[in-house]
Amino acid sequence: MSISVDSISFRYGPRQALQDISFTLNRGGFHGLLGPNGAGKSTLFSLITRLNALQQGDIRIDDASIRRQPASLMRRIGVVFQQSTLDLDLTVAQNLLYHASLHGISSRDARQRIDTELQRMEMSDRAHDKVRALNGGHRRRVEIARALLHRPEILLLDEPTVGLDPQTRRSLNHHVRKLCEEENLTVLWATHLMEEINEDDSIILLHKGCLLVDDRAATLLSLSGQNTISDAFHHLTTLPQQESV
Amino acid sequence: MKLKHLLTPLASAILLATTCAQAELAYVSNEKDDTISIIDLETMDVTETLDVGERPRGILFSKDYSKLYICASDSDTVQVMDLATKTIIKELPSGEDPEQFALHPNDRHLYISNEDDALVTIVDTETSEVLAQIDVGVEPEGMAVSPDGKIAVNTSETTNMVHWIDTTTYQLVDNTLVDQRPRHVEFSKDSSVLWASSEIGGTVSVIDVASRQIMKKISFEIKGVHRDKIQPVGVKLSDNGKYAFVALGPANHVAVIDAKTHEVVDYILVGRRVWHMDFNHDQSLLLTTNGISGDVSVIDMDKMKAVKSIKVGRYPWGVKVKP
Amino acid sequence: MNLISSWHCFKGILVREFLRFVQQRSRFLSALVRPLLWLVVFAAGFRAALGISIIQPYDTYITYETYIAPGLCCMILLFNGMQSSLSMVYDREMGSMRVLLMSPLPRPYLLLCKMTATALISLTQVYAFLAIALLVEVEPPLLGYLYVLPALLLVALLLSSLGLFLSTRIRQLENFAGVMNFVIFPMFFLSSALYPLWKMQEASEWLYWICMINPFTHAVELVRYALYLKLNSDALIITAGTTLLFTLLAVTGFRPQKNSR
Repeated sequence: MSISVDSISFRYGPRQALQDISFTLNRGGFHGLLGPNGAGKSTLFSLITRLNALQQGDIRIDDASIRRQPASLMRRIGVVFQQSTLDLDLTVAQNLLYHASLHGISSRDARQRIDTELQRMEMSDRAHDKVRALNGGHRRRVEIARALLHRPEILLLDEPTVGLDPQTRRSLNHHVRKLCEEENLTVLWATHLMEEINEDDSIILLHKGCLLVDDRAATLLSLSGQNTISDAFHHLTTLPQQESV
Repeated sequence: MKLKHLLTPLASAILLATTCAQAELAYVSNEKDDTISIIDLETMDVTETLDVGERPRGILFSKDYSKLYICASDSDTVQVMDLATKTIIKELPSGEDPEQFALHPNDRHLYISNEDDALVTIVDTETSEVLAQIDVGVEPEGMAVSPDGKIAVNTSETTNMVHWIDTTTYQLVDNTLVDQRPRHVEFSKDSSVLWASSEIGGTVSVIDVASRQIMKKISFEIKGVHRDKIQPVGVKLSDNGKYAFVALGPANHVAVIDAKTHEVVDYILVGRRVWHMDFNHDQSLLLTTNGISGDVSVIDMDKMKAVKSIKVGRYPWGVKVKP
Repeated sequence: MNLISSWHCFKGILVREFLRFVQQRSRFLSALVRPLLWLVVFAAGFRAALGISIIQPYDTYITYETYIAPGLCCMILLFNGMQSSLSMVYDREMGSMRVLLMSPLPRPYLLLCKMTATALISLTQVYAFLAIALLVEVEPPLLGYLYVLPALLLVALLLSSLGLFLSTRIRQLENFAGVMNFVIFPMFFLSSALYPLWKMQEASEWLYWICMINPFTHAVELVRYALYLKLNSDALIITAGTTLLFTLLAVTGFRPQKNSR
């Protein structure tokens, strides 16, 4: 059971944002979606979450196509957006209940799931605090808990660590990796920060709307002949620019 | 009808009550149309319009409601309509231009003010005989006879006086000066107090009948209405002694006055240029004639609000309700 | 889409709107101030203490306050409808639209839920306004407050579907000032909200016709009649028809993000 992106292209007016992108995520793996700012990561997210309509290509989970069975996809995907989408004036529980209801979950059922997910995120004691009172890291944890309420198979995170301090970033990354292992969750973690990627992660490297690498991080290293992922990333994403000059 | 005999007394009582209620009719004189409109107060619709003499203004019923007296001003007569047949059966010698009149409690003597002649004419309605003509001020207008029958009162619009007439001697006994252009007079039920409206003066004078002295002058003020538009004309007192109602002409409002304290307690919005008023039998409704808008507004006494305005003829002037 | 999950979804959206509404009491009050100013200041300055002629649905002469009250009820719904629809499309700061659209339920249904929820919340403002209007003797019959409920709900839906339609289709209306100038003011002033139609006709025939083709006129008349226990079937047909039309146009044309940045 996996999500596959099949030859997607997308343009905003004259600007080509994505060019013929295809990849498949393996079940239960932690995948890094890499690319500098403007590489097309957020566009890809907006297509998978149906904020933008597909122009070319298709996105599928098993046999369900986003074009024909969008509901089936939405049920199986949990998303954490780059910008916080929590209602600051409502409590953590109220935010989560709202999300659950959007998925047609009764409030009694939802309360149980909220307990479970908050516990997993070590946020149980903050359930009745207003989101406004939480720090950035905790808000992210709430959003992850929210994305898991309807028990999706795939968790998409669009630069979830933006604006957080290094320590919080690490702990959040660690949390998600744990989830991935324990729940056999397929994770797509978009970032431009290489320290969030491990050597044995699968990575998808986007640059200027094109897919550069879809492989293991270790392969990326050997491919670029660099020692660290960060160097490899820098090498690969600046290379085409030099060529084009 | 046979069916009627089968009904229980209770049911027939209800039937009687409803037929009585249905029978409550308001008669309205339309000054410009030379007609009388009849309004059914159950349905609040005009059910009939009768042709009468020229420029009908003041109207009133005989005591038993079998006859309607009509001041047909431009025909210079008071017409008598038989209400069973709704035909004019008689014309009384009223003197010229009769406008307002009052019926003595003896149900026979009509006191009629003759606007152009500065006279009050007293006519016996049975014999059609003029009993007396009394000189009063210039342009006599308002007319009333006290419920105890002892005094008749007339107002003269230009002399600005209330003239007191002894009904036994037909003599003018006294005058009371009031504000400009007195239009209408109304006695309290016990004949002890007289209310007189002054159209230009914009006031209502409350007069002690025994001393013929003004006890209180009531003036009016409506937010958003210029004081020139406040022209009191018709006055009506409720039988329970609680309220006096004053029609304020082009101010389009009826003032509600506490009859004991003489303070204005409310103003009720009605149609345009409201002049005269009458209660229905149980005094749950007050009807007003609105000259310019050509309709009759019905005021609910419980709510103290106009609940309905009913189109009648052009320039409705007087209104009287027959139970 | 099964019925139970749809119901949970609607309930959730309604609860959230309600919670937000409770949170933002100051917004609730400021939304009330606008119509109240009209009622108190404008009506008083209008010098209509002499009453307005009898027109349907009124049985007798009325004060100007009484006349404009239904129009002001609709004004509340107009502002709220436009505001909430605009924020649905443009106000993505909170990302609440993204959350809404992550639901597996059909988008037209989600939009309808959202519009209905805002409409229901707006009704509380209308009733608060009517309660305060009692102080200036705007006193419709007691049952009128009940009769007017479905009329208000329909009008609220009309105005938020119109708002959604306009904000998805017309890019020039990006901010609230634009909507005020080009939608709210013309709709409000060129309707029977402030002056009876016969008065408009007296002023000019073409003004009258503009009022007649303005759906807001019919919305106001529907509410006016309902408040006085009468049904204006023409107004009902036109209001229901335009609601249906704009809802269809709005949900079919809805794009959460514009395709050009």
